[in-house]
Amino acid sequence: MRATPDFLHSESSTTGSPILAAQGLSKQVGFDHETLTILDDVSFSLSPGSTLAIVGASGSGKSTLLGLLAGLDSPTKGSVTLAGHTLGQLDEDGRARLRAEHVGFVFQSFQLLPALTALDNVALPLELNGHKEARREAQALLERVGLGSRVQHRPKELSGGEQQRVALARAFVTRPKLLFADEPTGNLDTQTGERIIDLLFSLNSESGTTLVLVTHDERLAARCGARLRLAGGQVIERDGV
Amino acid sequence: MNGWGLAWRWLKRDLTAGELTVMAIALVVAIAAMSSVGFFTDRVGRALQSEADQLLAADLVLNADQPIAADFLAEADRRGLMRGATATFPSMAQTADNAQLVTVKAVSTSYPLRGDIRLLQNGSEAKVSGGPAPGTIWADQRLFSSLGLKPGDTLKLGEKAFTLGPILAREPDGAMDLYNFIPRAMFNDADLPATGLIQPGSRVRYRLLLAGDRDQVTAMREWLKPRLQRGQRLEDVREARPEINTSLNRAERFLRLSALISVFMAAAAIALAARRYVERHLDAVALLRTMGLTQGNIIGLFLRQYSLMAVLSISAGIGLGWLTQFGLAHLLAGMFETTLPPAGPLPALSGAAVGLVLLFGFCLPPLLRLKGVSPLRVLRRDATPAGNAPLAFGLGLAALAGLIYWQAGDTTLAGLALAGLAGTVALATLAAWCLVWITPKLPLPGQLGWRFGLANVARRRGLSVAQIVSLSLGLMALMLLTVVRNDLLSAWDKSVPVDAPNRFAINIQPEQRAGILAEFKRAGLPEPVFGPMIRARLHSIAGKPVVPDKYPDERARRLAEREFNLSWGGSLRNDNRLVAGVPLSDNTPAWSLEEGLAQRLGIKLGDELAFTIDGQVFKAPVTSLRRVDWDSFRVNFFVVGNRALLESQPASFVSSFYLPDAQRTFSTELSRKFPNITVIDVSVILREVRGVLDRVLSAVEVVFAFSLAAGIVVLYAATLATHDERKREAAILRTLGASGKTVRQAASAELLLVGGLAGLLAAAAALGIGAGASQQLFELPARISWWLLPFGLISGALAARLAAAPLLARVLKTPPLRALR
Repeated sequence: MRATPDFLHSESSTTGSPILAAQGLSKQVGFDHETLTILDDVSFSLSPGSTLAIVGASGSGKSTLLGLLAGLDSPTKGSVTLAGHTLGQLDEDGRARLRAEHVGFVFQSFQLLPALTALDNVALPLELNGHKEARREAQALLERVGLGSRVQHRPKELSGGEQQRVALARAFVTRPKLLFADEPTGNLDTQTGERIIDLLFSLNSESGTTLVLVTHDERLAARCGARLRLAGGQVIERDGV
Repeated sequence: MNGWGLAWRWLKRDLTAGELTVMAIALVVAIAAMSSVGFFTDRVGRALQSEADQLLAADLVLNADQPIAADFLAEADRRGLMRGATATFPSMAQTADNAQLVTVKAVSTSYPLRGDIRLLQNGSEAKVSGGPAPGTIWADQRLFSSLGLKPGDTLKLGEKAFTLGPILAREPDGAMDLYNFIPRAMFNDADLPATGLIQPGSRVRYRLLLAGDRDQVTAMREWLKPRLQRGQRLEDVREARPEINTSLNRAERFLRLSALISVFMAAAAIALAARRYVERHLDAVALLRTMGLTQGNIIGLFLRQYSLMAVLSISAGIGLGWLTQFGLAHLLAGMFETTLPPAGPLPALSGAAVGLVLLFGFCLPPLLRLKGVSPLRVLRRDATPAGNAPLAFGLGLAALAGLIYWQAGDTTLAGLALAGLAGTVALATLAAWCLVWITPKLPLPGQLGWRFGLANVARRRGLSVAQIVSLSLGLMALMLLTVVRNDLLSAWDKSVPVDAPNRFAINIQPEQRAGILAEFKRAGLPEPVFGPMIRARLHSIAGKPVVPDKYPDERARRLAEREFNLSWGGSLRNDNRLVAGVPLSDNTPAWSLEEGLAQRLGIKLGDELAFTIDGQVFKAPVTSLRRVDWDSFRVNFFVVGNRALLESQPASFVSSFYLPDAQRTFSTELSRKFPNITVIDVSVILREVRGVLDRVLSAVEVVFAFSLAAGIVVLYAATLATHDERKREAAILRTLGASGKTVRQAASAELLLVGGLAGLLAAAAALGIGAGASQQLFELPARISWWLLPFGLISGALAARLAAAPLLARVLKTPPLRALR
């Protein structure tokens, strides 16, 4: 196991109170009379500012784990603590508030709102928080990701790489404590993917965000400070976590 | 490639996966609505027709000015039809010391073939199935009054003396000419030769009555048509009974309008569903293109799929329509005297045609977008072909216009429906763009959710406009079906009010008016209005003498030669509507004509008409044309002069009034006090007209209720079609940390605004179309229910919000992760 130091925040996962912790996390789904276990007894904790890659083959349960960690879905068993709050004790609105305050997302399929311009998409999370300067900040961040001239374009008028840059800007615009990225380069060609990842890590280092990244790309995983490898819903390997 | 096999598998998969559900449901519901309304109206129409036939005393009547040729009779016998005959002509009826001009009708023993004769015996009415026996004559109340007769008296017609039977209250084919006050009498045609009244040159109207199996009657009608000679014509109920005609015409137009409205709704739903279907298939098509399928292959594949779906949904729709109309017929059991005849196959065919036009008119244009899908889309999602909206709209609307024209079957209805549709679409599009343009410029107050939702209306311009247009079409149709329909029906119902005049009093002398008024006052009855009446003959039109024989039209000929009852007066009553010219003034001599009469006699506005009254000629120009509500049962005149022209002429007066059943004896008292006055009881005719009207109104109610239900289903389907984007948006919003409240507020703000505007536009359009329909289609006074505008605004907003409620609740319950996947 390599113990690649985190290039920005080298705090070990054992120091300070964790920003994210999972305890005995399991997810089962029922099909007719059969129960399928997607995730089985996953536990770990992550300190603020660290970077974690969740790796594994397709169907290993990594995206499900990400969803549970972010409170986008509920576990069958176990608990998640995010920024000091136990997600299981919050209702959906409570979890939404927590996300609004602390969490950013980047998805494989970008998940931009097609009716909104790039600027509106980026300003959206700030507006949801009642931020007065939403549009100005969104504009600044879009310029930071190199899309200053495309702010009035709608997602369908942008290339895949540009759409993912808009998604990155949207994820960082609220200065989240925690950023979840689900296969952020999965829909992009290698070169574009590389540039997006460089941008992701550089934004991450600028803002000191804790990053949880789901990927099957080993090279990308290697850039994270910690790794969690899943197979068949179970953790089969831990590195720095 | 086995195109059909693949198309079938795709169809099965898409149907199971719910991809085609909305489109299929919309299609099935529309076809079911159309065909059940079609089946049902066909059956009701046949029942109404058969009841109406009783008013002709036959199924088919050949009217001729010469005795009916033997080959016609032989043909009717060969076809196994029942036949009867009548001969009608004017004659003098004589008693020992008096004489009166009467219209007599000699009837065959088989008369009437349909319907009944009603006689007044011992103060009550009795139905009899056959005409008078030889040697007996039946006469109406007018003849009894004018000659002072009683049953059993002897009455002479020509050389034959008849025994007078009971009072003839109603003939099934009795001319409803309330304004021609010549008494009527009826005798057996076996006595005709003995009267010696029919001589060469006599003006006799012969009618051959035929009845039998529907198909045989139709075949006979077709056989007769090309063989008709000059002076011969086929009668149908519509011309025989103008007051029934109005009801039947209105009913037919109501039902057709209702059917057209369900088609509008389906069209809107199908267009939206097809757009959604195509959006969701862009990826699959791109994949097929990478596998080497040509554009033609792709379109062929989808066309086959649509064709298969057409077969399935048309069968299901027609089947459902067929089943539904049984239920409807069951509901109406007892409403008709006869059992409902079975429906013909035509509604099934028209249902199928409607299905095909809707499917291909509204699904094909978005489908053509698939042709432009580049295989590159597999790699780049942004390689989306642009939709050709004008083409899509143009094709769909052209298909709908054709459908409406075909279904409407008459140009006024088709024109109104098309203008209404085009007007609503144009108005809604314009208003929607204005809204989209103005919203971002407004300072939006309130909480984030509301602000976000309102701003969204402008952000997704295309969808907002499409939603407003389709919602307003659907809501317009629903409002037209409910609120405006009620206005129309009540106006229609009021056109023959329950207290419509049921007695006519004629031959009132000017000096008797005050006394009669006093009698009415004493009996506690409302004061009647007296109309002056002057007998006259038409002398010349625009300087040319009137020669009745010059008119090719037999009715025009009769009008030209008969005596006119002229009246005079100034103001126009509310059952008279000015259609051309200016109202009569008191001083300048002028005539006002009923428009039908003017048309028949070829009289134009401005023509100088001359009438002779007691040998003196009265000339004046025609300065106005009126449309008269003949079914108002008030005294009306074809020709009215102004006061200056006719006031000095000796006139008798005529009046009509409503006499409640409890005060029946009042008319006898009136006749006793003023013996020269004849009071005619038209309550039987009135009851009959109201009976037909009530029945028709109930049929319309039932059919409308059905269209309404169909409309709601289709509107719901239309709402569903816009849900994909909303669902994904809600999931993203929640992922980004929006609370359930914010998501609900955002959706509510958008839906309330879009729905409210759509509702307001729909109300305005429904009022416009309703007013147009009242005047142009139903010839009823238009009533504008202004309250519909705020009602539309509020109900549209609530309807849009409520329709989305189940989905919104589901979205809020679904973990965002699942929605995003």
